[in-house]
Parts: sequence; structure tokens; C-alpha cells
Amino acid sequence: MQSELILMAHPAFGVLAILAAVWVFAEAITNNATSRGRLRMMSLACAGLVWLSYLVGGYWYVVYYAADKALIKAGPWPFAHGFVMEVKEHIFFSMLLLSSYLPIAVFSLTAGKQALKPVVLWVSAWIVVLGLTMEGAGAFISMGAKVALLATQSTGDTP
Amino acid sequence: MSDTGIGNYNRAFALSFAITSLLSALLVVLKEQNEDTVLAWMKAATGHHWITHGVLVVVVFILLGWLLAQTKLGSRLTGNGLSAVISGSVVLSGVVIAGYFI
Repeated sequence: MQSELILMAHPAFGVLAILAAVWVFAEAITNNATSRGRLRMMSLACAGLVWLSYLVGGYWYVVYYAADKALIKAGPWPFAHGFVMEVKEHIFFSMLLLSSYLPIAVFSLTAGKQALKPVVLWVSAWIVVLGLTMEGAGAFISMGAKVALLATQSTGDTP
Repeated sequence: MSDTGIGNYNRAFALSFAITSLLSALLVVLKEQNEDTVLAWMKAATGHHWITHGVLVVVVFILLGWLLAQTKLGSRLTGNGLSAVISGSVVLSGVVIAGYFI
């Protein structure tokens, strides 16, 4: 039960981070005096949520994933690990660094460095794109485990 | 040197992101191609290769950002130029990683 809750916290933090990045993108378009506080707060929230998603997901991956990995690799969708998980776990680092950089750019933008506006827009947009890619990849991996379990049930094998 | 209005630390850490992201993608290929040496060392260092990978990525990002802030590398980059560097790195590192495992 505990491992499942940890696993669900990973995409939940990820979705909230995506929403925060969308918020940063929208506020950066206007970037006026009233939006600056929200911009700063949301950029910090985005970074914090991506780090939480990374730490929670990483803990689950290191401690619990081995059994799922063996199951997926023996099932009908081995690519759910061999391609999707391998790509997901490594591209995540780009998202982690982008979200860590986002507050640096946002705090400078809101302090008057208007030249950073396209940087903030692109960085927040990439966090949204990468975040949605991670969410989709997670769904593929879950389905890889599900079809593997269904396959063992239909053949009567124990997983 | 012209001031493009980016700021020293913004330029430095944006470039650090671009370089670190690419290095991370290359490390994926390197460790997967050298399981007995690089991957084995990464597993031994922290108990799991992915933890070591993450620690290296974060440490390199911070150190490289600090080092680049001491230089003038990329000081002529505008906001659009820096955005292109960041986007190019995201796409290229993604292509390297996905291309390796495909």
C-alpha cells in the first residue's frame, strides 16, 4: 500500500508542476507590476514540485521498481521498460535542471531584465512539454505492467 | 562587449543547463556501452547507477554555472539566442537518449 501511494505521489507532483509552469508562461506574457509576485511564487512552486516528483519517483524507482521491471520485460510489452522507462528516467534530468533554472530567470525578469522574457517563456514551455511526456510515459509503463499481469493470469503463471 | 540585458548568472546557468543536459545524454550512452566499467562504477558509487547519474548532473550543473559566471562565454547572446541554445539542448539530448534506446 505504501509503495502504491508513493508511486501515485510522483505523477501528482508532476501534474502540479506542469500547472505551475503553465501559470508562469501565462504570467510572463503580461509581466506587469501586479503579476510579478505570482510569477516568482509559481516559478519556485514549479521547481519545488519537480524536485518533489524527482525525489519521490526516484525513491520508488530505486526501492520498488525491480519487481515491476522483471514483470514488464517478461510480458507482452517489454518496450515499456526497454524504451519508455529508459528514456523517461534519463530525460527527466533535463526537466529537473530546467525547473531549477526557471526561478533564476524569473527573478531576474521580474527585477527588470526584460530581455529574459523569451527565455522564461521557452523554459516554462519546455517544462510543460517534458512534463506531459513524462506523464504519458508513466501511463505506458503502468500499462506494460498491467498487460504483463493479465498475461500471467490468462496463462495461469505466477508473476 | 555589448550588454544584452541577460545578466551574468542567467547566461551562465542557462549555458550550464544546455551543456549539462547534453553531457547527461552522452553519459547515458557511455554507461550503457560500458556496463563492466562505467555502469559498474556508477552502481558502486551510490548503490544505484541512476542515483549517481542524478548526483553528477546536479553537481555539474551547479559547478559549471558558477565557473561560466566567471567567464564571458556567450555574453553576446540575446534572450532569443539563449532560448535557442536551451531549446537545441533539450531536443538534441532527447534525440540522443531516445535514439540510443530505440
